[in-house]
Amino acid sequence: MADAARRVSYLAGFSCPLGGLAAGKPRVLCHEAEVFLSTGSEFVYVYDQEGGLLTAVYQFPDQVWHLQLLARRGALYVLCARKGVYCLSVEPGSSAASRAGEDSLGGELPCPVVPVDPAACAVPDVALCAFAVLDDLLVTLVQGPAQWKMQLFERPHPGEDPQLGGPIGEVELSTCNPPAGVPEKPAAPRFLPVLCCMFPPGARDPHGHSQGHGGFVLKEALFGLLFGADATLLESPVILCGLPDGQLCCVVLKALATSRSAPGDPKALVKILHHLEEPAVFIGALKTERPAEEAAEEVLPEEGQHSDCLVALGHQGRALAIKASWNESGSLVPELREYWLPGPMLCAACGAGGRVYLSTPLDLCVVDLAQGSAPSDPQQPHRDLGSLPLELCPTSLSICSVLTLSVSSRTPAGGTELLALTAKGRLVSCSVDLNSKKTDSARVSVANAGQRIKELLSGIGDISERVSFLKKAVDQRNKALTSLNEAMNVSCALLSSREGPRPVSCTTTTAWSRVQLQDVLMATCLLENSSCFSLERGWTLCVQVLASASALDLGAAGPAVTYTIPVDSLGPGSRREVTLPLGPSESGEFELPVTVSCTLFYSLREVVGGALAPADPLEAPFLEEQPLDLLPEQEGICLPLSKHTVDMLQCLRFPSLVAAHTQAPRLPGPAHDPVDAFLETCQPPGSQPSGPASLRAKYLPPSSASVRVSAELLRAALEAARSGVPLCSATLQWLLAENPAVDIIRARALSSIQGVAPDGTDIHLVISEVAVTDLSPAGPIQAVDIQVESPSLADMCRAHHAIVGRMQAMVTKQAAQGASAPDLRLQYLRQIHTNHEALLREVQALRDRLCTEDEASSCATAQRLLQVYKQLRNPSLVLL
Amino acid sequence: MSQQIHAGSSVSHTSFLDLWREKNDQLVRQAKVVQDTQLSLRRQQLAQDTLEGLRKLLWGLQGLPATVPVLPLELTVTCNFIILRVSLAQGFTEDLAQDIQRSLKRVLETQEHLEPRLQQSLRELWESVLHASSLLPELLSALHLLAGLQAALWLSTDHLGDLAILLQTLNGSQGRTSEDLLLLFKSWNPPVEKSDGPLTLQNAQSLRAVLLTAFAYQQGLQELITGNLPRALRNLHEAASGLCTRPVLVQVYTALGTCLRKMENPQRALLYLIEALKVGTDCSLPLLEASRLYRQLGDTSAELESLELLVEALSVIRSSKSPQLLIEAELLLPQPDQASPLHCVTPSQAKHLLASRCLQIGREEDAAEHYLDLLALLLDGSEPRFSLLPCPPGPCVPEVFLETAAALIQAGRAQDAFTVCEELLSRTSSLLPKMSQLREGARKGSKELPYCQLWVSATHLLQGQAWVHLKAPKEAVSEFSRCLELLFCTTPEDKEQGAGFNYEQGCSSEAALQQLRVAALISRGLVWVASNQDTKALKDFLLSVQIFPGSRDASYYLLQTLRRLDRKDDATALWQRLEAQTELTQKEATRSLPLYLETYLSWIHPTDCETFLEEFRTSLLEPHDQ
Repeated sequence: MADAARRVSYLAGFSCPLGGLAAGKPRVLCHEAEVFLSTGSEFVYVYDQEGGLLTAVYQFPDQVWHLQLLARRGALYVLCARKGVYCLSVEPGSSAASRAGEDSLGGELPCPVVPVDPAACAVPDVALCAFAVLDDLLVTLVQGPAQWKMQLFERPHPGEDPQLGGPIGEVELSTCNPPAGVPEKPAAPRFLPVLCCMFPPGARDPHGHSQGHGGFVLKEALFGLLFGADATLLESPVILCGLPDGQLCCVVLKALATSRSAPGDPKALVKILHHLEEPAVFIGALKTERPAEEAAEEVLPEEGQHSDCLVALGHQGRALAIKASWNESGSLVPELREYWLPGPMLCAACGAGGRVYLSTPLDLCVVDLAQGSAPSDPQQPHRDLGSLPLELCPTSLSICSVLTLSVSSRTPAGGTELLALTAKGRLVSCSVDLNSKKTDSARVSVANAGQRIKELLSGIGDISERVSFLKKAVDQRNKALTSLNEAMNVSCALLSSREGPRPVSCTTTTAWSRVQLQDVLMATCLLENSSCFSLERGWTLCVQVLASASALDLGAAGPAVTYTIPVDSLGPGSRREVTLPLGPSESGEFELPVTVSCTLFYSLREVVGGALAPADPLEAPFLEEQPLDLLPEQEGICLPLSKHTVDMLQCLRFPSLVAAHTQAPRLPGPAHDPVDAFLETCQPPGSQPSGPASLRAKYLPPSSASVRVSAELLRAALEAARSGVPLCSATLQWLLAENPAVDIIRARALSSIQGVAPDGTDIHLVISEVAVTDLSPAGPIQAVDIQVESPSLADMCRAHHAIVGRMQAMVTKQAAQGASAPDLRLQYLRQIHTNHEALLREVQALRDRLCTEDEASSCATAQRLLQVYKQLRNPSLVLL
Repeated sequence: MSQQIHAGSSVSHTSFLDLWREKNDQLVRQAKVVQDTQLSLRRQQLAQDTLEGLRKLLWGLQGLPATVPVLPLELTVTCNFIILRVSLAQGFTEDLAQDIQRSLKRVLETQEHLEPRLQQSLRELWESVLHASSLLPELLSALHLLAGLQAALWLSTDHLGDLAILLQTLNGSQGRTSEDLLLLFKSWNPPVEKSDGPLTLQNAQSLRAVLLTAFAYQQGLQELITGNLPRALRNLHEAASGLCTRPVLVQVYTALGTCLRKMENPQRALLYLIEALKVGTDCSLPLLEASRLYRQLGDTSAELESLELLVEALSVIRSSKSPQLLIEAELLLPQPDQASPLHCVTPSQAKHLLASRCLQIGREEDAAEHYLDLLALLLDGSEPRFSLLPCPPGPCVPEVFLETAAALIQAGRAQDAFTVCEELLSRTSSLLPKMSQLREGARKGSKELPYCQLWVSATHLLQGQAWVHLKAPKEAVSEFSRCLELLFCTTPEDKEQGAGFNYEQGCSSEAALQQLRVAALISRGLVWVASNQDTKALKDFLLSVQIFPGSRDASYYLLQTLRRLDRKDDATALWQRLEAQTELTQKEATRSLPLYLETYLSWIHPTDCETFLEEFRTSLLEPHDQ
């Protein structure tokens, strides 16, 4: 078997999209010298094998999903996606006549493109997914919202006014899952159902259906066994239906005539034969019995053609074969066998001699179902009931990615001719002569040496295509493995180094820059790889920017934005800088503080998914879900790197300082402040004109807050930085350490500074040394008073929050080092505490009142509330 | 300045609204034109286009934030879209609920205090919307139409609880929990549409009428099936007086007929059936019901006449009227299943009904003709419309063959019966076990033989009887023997095997097998009797009594033969046993037999049984006295 002789010849090429044609929808049919072909696009081509040219091209309004030819009636039936079944006349001559006057359309193709008349749509139905044509009937399968529905029509004739009455009969099959997508416009189903018509041997003239074109004549025994005595007695054709969920069911057509008042009962009409548990891609029948040499004469030519074995194929490679056989006591029993062949199956065809041709993306192979049946033993009374082989051994024909197959009717003697369409859009004919090897070597003569060389060359071509394809797949898998290994190394290194410098680090700094006439605060994340591994494809740096919700509740989280930056390749020792805007937001507001968290993410889907799904477009439509389903939902490795908080102190700008050095860009001043505008209009007409600043000072005194820290504590904390610098100045330097202006402050040893908040309002920071007298019995305590002042309450709050945050961090750190607190006067502390508690209670009461009061009184309440807040912000306490 | 801008934007707003409204009106008019288009294909395409237009319009409207001035139009477009979609698909689908839900949420979005909550069920949504709608009187008319569609959806999906609550809220009567949906439907009074509002495909009033009819009819039918006849009658009367199309009216009248027939009120039932026939769209249902009615009345000639008319009515190809682009009562009614009294028959089933009734009544000539017609229809298959086989629970095709043969024999057409039998044998031959192996298997005591043996042996039995009619005892005996040979290899368990592949279970049963054996033995015995071979006859009769001791016929023939052979003691013993038996056993045994077997058993039933037994009794007493 393995030495199958084959000859491949290239017939024609058809346009195919980038990445090749998709499987499942292309079709090839041949009738005598004519080949009807669809590639899954909206065209149907008619190719003349003898002339070697295209004779017609029909254009349909949407993708063509299925073709069927009723050669004897000269009719071609075409299933057009989301439109229905079209019926065309393909009588020789009629097509030419209809093409007259269309010459101008055929620009690039050698023959004109004929747009199909919408009136040729014989069965319009948007949800139609499959059909089968019989001599006088048309069976369609429609995908309903919950169930498949089989409908039976009288066969429409080409050229006739396609005015079908409703269906003669209909029955609902099993449930189905409608394809995903918008319910209004369903996506194209991944797998179409398969319909196949089986005729009993005595059926009224089934010869209009040449084998392989949707119809098979089964032997009586198999037919009766599968479909029952009723179908046998009525000699009714039976439609076999393979559904995408794997169900194989059958419907006796003569029973399928129903009406609204006598609807079909699915339980009586539909019989489930088997369940493949994977999408059915092919149903066929073939003759496995090998005629005995001497008996061959006796058998009628017609009788000999009848199939005795039913074959069904699933997409993953599960094959089912059913034959009829007698058990030892003489009764008829089904012999059913399942095989597992290497999938995924693209298409299949049944050939003569019990052979099934199967196409996978890697290969076209032949399996022999007749190998088990011993050829002819006249002594044995039931020689026609040989058993099925226990296993199937696919024999390769070394043609890869064949999308659709057709066994040509012009079969050369002793062999089989296949017509195939490959994923690259090539129509090839392949003659397979599985038995001729023995005589082959003897036949090589000068006369056919040329032919032989040609065959070898085309064989080499095919094989090299296949090799390159396999190589690509292997390479991809290797790459994925290497990448996975690296990723594991990096993850281990990062996770094991909790202490000390991390092998991969990310530091965040902020700076102002001017983008499109607007000042923008930019954060710069510097990803540094100091490990000995490199970060390859698959790694992404995720930067999450989390703004606070509002100035009045700075602890709460606000909206978050996540930036994902692929790290293409970051070798050991190299670094990558990412700059991203922090604000202002579109509304011009700054929601400080902002938290910037950096995380490294390794996407398994990107690396492993790519390797599992071979890059071959043939498999892509089938595999896009399956292997990836193996991976969990958010598959990947997530490694947190750093978390950085950007607060008001870092964003302050000091135009007054910078102006001395360079010409600072003009900051958004308070010129268009609506409050100022309001104040201006409020001016009483007689009063002397004064600037908004003075008015502001008069009506809107700046909000302020202060924090006191004991000088001792600060000195201890700032020990390192403070070398001969006064404490106040050192404190300011410490507070603004992350601000770009820190160098100027250091240079001038400033202890008070006026800055500008991101939204343009002024902020005053005044640091002074004070002595707190009442607190300690040991005498006054030296303390540092940090005063924040700003006309904007919100900005003041943010600055205060930032300062308190730093203080907290410092105190925690100092406490860890075991600094001892000085002796304190407890009585005094207690009093301050009770004062504060009273104030807090008042705040609570005022807030409650604010909710219930009307506008007039709530105004007063709000004012009081502000006052209390102010009192609270100026505590008499000192951080020690 | 700012005022001008405001005025300008409001102008563009209203003009857009006008444009959309115009588009809606134009699409509705288009749908009404499509309605009258004759060509089914063009019609379907046009309707599909209209549906697309409505969908796009809806998308446009729903792209804007919901506002009260636009909502009436948006709701109307949604309703038009749903109506057209349902009438095109000829049924309600679950995803329509989502369309309705989206619209309701849009209504709530305009109400600040009534923000739609997540996970709010459709029923809760309706409640909040209808409460809010008191604030929005301009929405009321469109909301009632949408509520009508929701009611239709819930009615078709059998969510009657939700439906009741919706109707109560619509009627503004939450307090009074009247569960009677019929009353709720009746008291629902949707507001009259304003003449200047956007056009609708169907207004709320007509939808309400359709819902009322459909609900009454559905309830009536259900109660008819469960046997609650007075309530069924009330509901069906309600349905008949409502708005319904003529096909539905025929169904309602027929259901009324069935109901009255079951209430033993045949004359009134007949009146309704006549009314149904007068409607004149589809006569088959009332005719079928009429045949049942006449059968109940015992009026066989009228029964057969209505069956003949039924066959005729079904043979007329009715041009299927394309459905209206509206929601009609048909859409809301479930398809009749086998158990429903309104399940009609297919032409071949009707023909079979007629033929079998003729055979049962004893009009064998007519029966034979009808059976031959039926077989011709089934086997010819030139007209796909007629080539249907009778569906279960009727007989399967082999049994139709056998009934035909029986009818032909009864009509004295033995030769034709042979033809039918031969046809059956030739067509099933491939399914039979090979005889050589069969004999082998029988020798080995194997009991695994296919069920279809039953039909084949029955065929031989009928052939034997045909030979008897042709006065050919030799051939008859050989056929009977063949039959018995097959029968004694068959066990009823055989139907178990291959169950996955064959669905002819039920056609054979243990009782049938037993009766077939008895029938074959008695028949062969009778042939022996006729050719004066009493000992052979005795053996057969004895065996038949042993197989089925309850068979009076077999016992009678045995008794007769024993008496003829002058074996008085055996005869007396048998007679005593016979006397002790009630006649019930045999009657019960023959009750569920296939018609061909029932007919056959009637042939071999002794006519003078009682006189003979009486005679035997006296003869028994005489010697006793002596």
